[in-house]
Order: sequence, then structure tokens, then C-alpha cells
Amino acid sequence: MAVGPRALEATGLAQPGRLARVREWWEQEQVFGYGLILPALVLIVGLVAYPFGMAIYFSLSDYWVGSPGSFVGLQNFRDVVANEIFQRTVYNSFVFTAIAVVLKAVLGVWLAMLLFRNFKLKRLIRGAVLLPWVIPTALSTLAWWWMFDSLYSVVNWTGIRLGLIAPPGPNWLGMPGYAMTAVITVNVWRGLPFFAITVLAGLVSIPREYYEAAEVDGASSWGRFRFVTLPLLKPVLAVVILFSTILTFADFNIVQILTRGGPVNTTHLFATLAYQIGLQGGNLGQGAAVSLFLFPMLAAVVFLQLRYIRRD
Amino acid sequence: MKGTTRRQFLKQTGGTSAGMASWLALGRAPAFAQQRELTFLSWNHFVPASDDELRKQAEAFGKQAGVTVRVDTIAHLQLPAKRAAEAQAQSGHDMLLTGGADPFLYENQLADVGDVIEELGKKYGGWYQFAKEGSHTSSGWRAVPWFWISFPGTYNMSHFKTAGLEPPKTWDELLKHGRTLKKQGNPVGIPISHCADATSTFWSVLWSYGGKVLEADGKTPAIASEKTAQVVEWYKELYKDAMEPEVLSWDDASNNRFILSGKGSWIHNPVSPYAAAVAKKMPIADDLNHHNSPAGPGGTHSAPPINSMAIWKFSKNVAVAKDFIRFLFQKPNYDPFIVASQGFNHPPLRNLADHPIWAQNPKFAMLPKEAEFAHERGWPAKPNAAVQLVQVNYVLPDMVAKAINGMPTKRAIAWAEDQIKLAVQGKLETKGKA
Repeated sequence: MAVGPRALEATGLAQPGRLARVREWWEQEQVFGYGLILPALVLIVGLVAYPFGMAIYFSLSDYWVGSPGSFVGLQNFRDVVANEIFQRTVYNSFVFTAIAVVLKAVLGVWLAMLLFRNFKLKRLIRGAVLLPWVIPTALSTLAWWWMFDSLYSVVNWTGIRLGLIAPPGPNWLGMPGYAMTAVITVNVWRGLPFFAITVLAGLVSIPREYYEAAEVDGASSWGRFRFVTLPLLKPVLAVVILFSTILTFADFNIVQILTRGGPVNTTHLFATLAYQIGLQGGNLGQGAAVSLFLFPMLAAVVFLQLRYIRRD
Repeated sequence: MKGTTRRQFLKQTGGTSAGMASWLALGRAPAFAQQRELTFLSWNHFVPASDDELRKQAEAFGKQAGVTVRVDTIAHLQLPAKRAAEAQAQSGHDMLLTGGADPFLYENQLADVGDVIEELGKKYGGWYQFAKEGSHTSSGWRAVPWFWISFPGTYNMSHFKTAGLEPPKTWDELLKHGRTLKKQGNPVGIPISHCADATSTFWSVLWSYGGKVLEADGKTPAIASEKTAQVVEWYKELYKDAMEPEVLSWDDASNNRFILSGKGSWIHNPVSPYAAAVAKKMPIADDLNHHNSPAGPGGTHSAPPINSMAIWKFSKNVAVAKDFIRFLFQKPNYDPFIVASQGFNHPPLRNLADHPIWAQNPKFAMLPKEAEFAHERGWPAKPNAAVQLVQVNYVLPDMVAKAINGMPTKRAIAWAEDQIKLAVQGKLETKGKA
């Protein structure tokens, strides 16, 4: 860049003075700084802020596909809250998220501890663990869907052959409890690598000296985990749990492919219900209201968690 | 200025292209139309050859009319969002595939096609009654029914023979037969889950027992009736005595697999399992046969998928689009369209229905008759926004599933009535004040 003007002079281009002035203007800190931010800002405004604003507007209007609606205030939210299907969805979402995130956190730390050890083919296996996270969800969930199939469930077939399940075995996607188990299982399977790898990174950064010191003090392996590993992992864990909670609350693919919210709406989550009402049913106003219910909840989660991290 | 130009422009272009029919007859294209493009947004037909034939005919029409015709096909699940986006943007394709409540939801966004309807009806022996139910709004015809897909009973002949049974003529008979068949190890199957087939069959049974979801006015819930209770009780018994619990988790392909696996003895579905068995040379193809959808105390009724074509009002090619529709319905064009779809595409016009593809195949011969008792969902109400919400929220199969899972029938129906009331609430004034 520094050679620019001189090179231009050399080519004998007219009016180097104007170019220099433009350059001078551009290199002012407030102009250049904002110039660098601009592309990101355009993206965020165009792809995040604008749709978000539209969603808020939709949720406050009687908006149907193809017909601009009038402002109705909080009517959509009142309608939605009064609906039994929505109440069920709120319940489902909390059960789904709570169980899935706890399982992912516990199993994730466990898996990370295992991966932290030295073993043969360490790199290969560490890479392989990431697979469920990397494969497109829609694709891997189809495989799960087939495994839970009512007619040809591999899970049931194996269980029956091994004598673990009495034939014909559970109707995975047809009974409320089992269906919830199924969608949680797939969510945990998919989200686990994210936890494990991130926690592993946290583990690597813990200085060995702490463990040695603890060992000298006679700490058991549980003691070392409880008083060295866990406290030092806390910032990492908090961030991962934060992300995971948000992603799990907003899950869509898994439920849409496995159950479409069934049986009898016992696996509906906010996203699937919003899709059903807003896009399939054409009631954009109510659909937006359903999906926006997530927002205050997630905002609260983010706020509490970030405050917790900062306090430490 | 901004407000008037579009309307004026539409008027002008409408005026100039109204003369199109005359120069169509001359067989040559006027110079000004050379770069025109007519675009049609349709779905990916589940028999791809049907789309190939459509594109072929589009090209032929394009040559004749001096326009380029572009047919875009997308997955049918993406259509609603795409339609909504085009209506919102007031731009996109000229023509689009519609169905269900679309002509009513987009009533004020779609061009009137009454002239095409009248002309084709006269030419081909009249439209079946479902055409009017699904495409004629209070302000006129908003779509041209294109093709419907029959939804008969499919049964395994050898299982019925072993049990010494004839195919069921009524839903009640299906229950009786089903009891015997399940004991024989060959249950029947109707999905009671979150899938399209589950609602399709429920409408058939409900109507056959004389029940309805909404009154004809389209806004008074009518589900809470003795007739619905009968239907729910019938479902409960069928579930208990003639089906397997798996029907609670079925998707739209499950019943196909159920009958193709050789285990199932009866399903209610389009003829796709048989078509798949023939195409893949599966031995079970010989055992499969079809019969008309069963009857009930209230007669025979069915809710087959009905597809129609509509033209956006914002299109600058309304007249060309209408000519394209007329072109597709010419017998020399519609016949190959039926053949390409392997008989899945049934015509909504009586005189196109006697195609040999059905008449000459004993397993298909009864299919065209299904048109006589086909209705658009929501009937006797028009398929409005509330019907669509009831439909996509799977309220009807969920009501049955609740009763099966132990909720008293009355309470399950009351739950459904609540859902229908919510769907109806203040959402029924005409949509699309464009």
C-alpha cells in the first residue's frame, strides 16, 4: 500500500493530488476502522438483525402468508400460551434440553479425560470422535431414524437377539417416553464430540505441576479431579454449556426427521412447532411468536452464565 | 406514480396478450414476444418421468407460442415457504402449483381463471365436484385443478384368501376382517401419527360416518358429535384388535413398507406400493390388489391429494399462462402426461378419465371412480386457513392417538375441538388484501 502513490506517480497518471487526498481521508482512524467493520456489519444487519426485527414485527401482527396483517399487540402470544400444544412444547423443550445438556456435560468430560491419556492411534481416534459433530445432522439422523424404525429397528432386533429386550421391543418413535429418549439419545450422540474436544483443549492447558503438587500432598485420583481438574476447567465448561444450551433449545433437525413432533406432540420443540404453525400452516404471526419465546429464555441463560463466569 | 404503474402495466400487457389466442391459431409468433419467458413453479413429482413429460410439453408450447417456458421443480415441502416468499415479494414465477387451502389463502393474489375452467369443462365433459370445492372461492375460480392422486384400499390377496375374506366394502367390515387377519399374523395398517397419510385416511373415515370438522360456513367447529365419537371408538378397536402399535410412529412411507414386507394385509394409500413392487420386480406384486375406498353409514368419501395450477396476479404473462394451461389439457398432451406418471396423475375432467392405462389393468380399473367421492379437506367447509392449521398440526390423528393412549373419547374430542376453535379464532376474514 505504501508504494501505491509513488507507483502511480511513476506511471504519470494525472491528478495524484486527489488520490492522495482520498488516501489521507481513508487512513484516518475513525474512517479506516469503521471501513473494516463495515462488511461484517452489513452481514449482521442483513442476515441477523433484519430477520430478527421482522420476526418481532410478525409476532405482533396478524400476519399470514401472502397477506400483510394488522398490528394485534400481544394477541399471538396470548393465543399461543393458551394452546395445549404449545404448553406441551415448553415442557418438552425444558426436559429435552436439561437432560441432553447434563448428559453431554458429564459424558463429555469423561470422554475428554479418556482422550487425554496416551494410547495407540491417539490422533486417529481423537479425530474420529469428532465425526458425529461433523456429519450433516440431517444425514446422520436419517440413520438413527432407520435404527429406531417401528418395523425394522436394529436396536430392537439386536436387543431381542441378545435376550435383553422382550419381543417385539419398545415402539421407539410411537410412545411418548421412548420417543423423547430417542431424540435425546441422538442429540447427545451428536453434541458429545463438541464437549469432549473443547474440554480436552481445556485439559491440555492445565499445568502438570498442579497435579504433581497434589500428588505429593497425597491426593487420590478423585481428589485430583475434584480439586484440580474441575475448578480449572470451569471457565471452559461454562462456555461450552452455554453454547450447548442455546443449540439444544433451538434444535430442529433431529426432531423433525425422527418424529415431526409426534407422538401426540410429545417431542415438539420450539423450532419444530414454529415451523409447523408458521411455514406449513401459514400463520406467520403465531409461528414467529412461538420461536420468539425462545429469545427471552436464552437471553436470561446467557446473562446469568456470563455473569457467573465474570464473577469468578 | 408508484402506486398506479403496476396496475396500469398489468392492464396494458393483459390487453396486448389477450390477442394471443388468435395468433396462436396462425401458428407463428409475433416478433415482440420473442424474448418473453413464462415460468412455472412446481414440485418434484414422485414419478420423475411425469416432470420430464411436463418439460417436454412446455418446450412444445414455447415453440408454438413463441415464448420460453421454464419449469422449476422443488421438493414439495419447500413449496409453502417459496409461495409465501413470492407473494410477499410480489415477484417470482408466473404460475405455481397449488393445493389444499392455497387458492383460498392467496385468493386476492391469484388471477381469476374462470374462463379457462369454463372452456375446459365444456370441452371435456365437466369437472368432478371436488374441483369446485377446492378451487372456487367466493370471488371466483383461483386455480385450475390439474391432477389428483387416487387413495384406494390396497390389500394382499393371498392373506385375504387364506382367511377366506373378500376385500372390505365398509370401514366396519375392515374392522371385522382385520380381527381375523391380525390373528392370522397379518394385521392391517392405518397410520395414527404425525404424517400426511394419517390425516388423509382420517378425513375419509370421518366423512364416511357422517362427521365433519367444521360446518359449511367454515368457522363453526363441528367435531364434537356422536359421529366423531363413533369414529374414535372405531379407531380404538381397530388399533387394539387389528393393528400393531407401530402405527403410532408411522411416516408416509411406513405403510408402503408394511404391505411390501409381506406382513401387512391392508393399507389405505396411493397405489405407490404396487407400482414400486412392479418396478422392482418384487414377487409380492402378484399378491397386491386395490379396491375402492371403504364406505360408511354416511356413504363413501375420500380425501386424495389434489393438485392445481394457479397464476399470480402480479405476473405479466397471465394470458400466456392461461394458454399454457389450455395446452396442457389438450387430450393429445394430457394422455402422455398420464402415461408418464404411470397412472398416478388422474384427470379432474370426466372425459379425460377413461384412459386405457386404468381401463385395461384389472388392478387399476376401479381407480378413476374414486374421483366421484373425492373432496378437498375441510369439506363441507371450504379449505380455509383454519383447516390448514388443523391439518398441519395433526390435530385429527392426535385426537385419535390420545384416545388410544387412554384419554376418554369425550375428552380427546374436546381437546380437538379446542384446537379447532383456536385455529378458527379471528383468522378467517379473506386473506391477502393485496
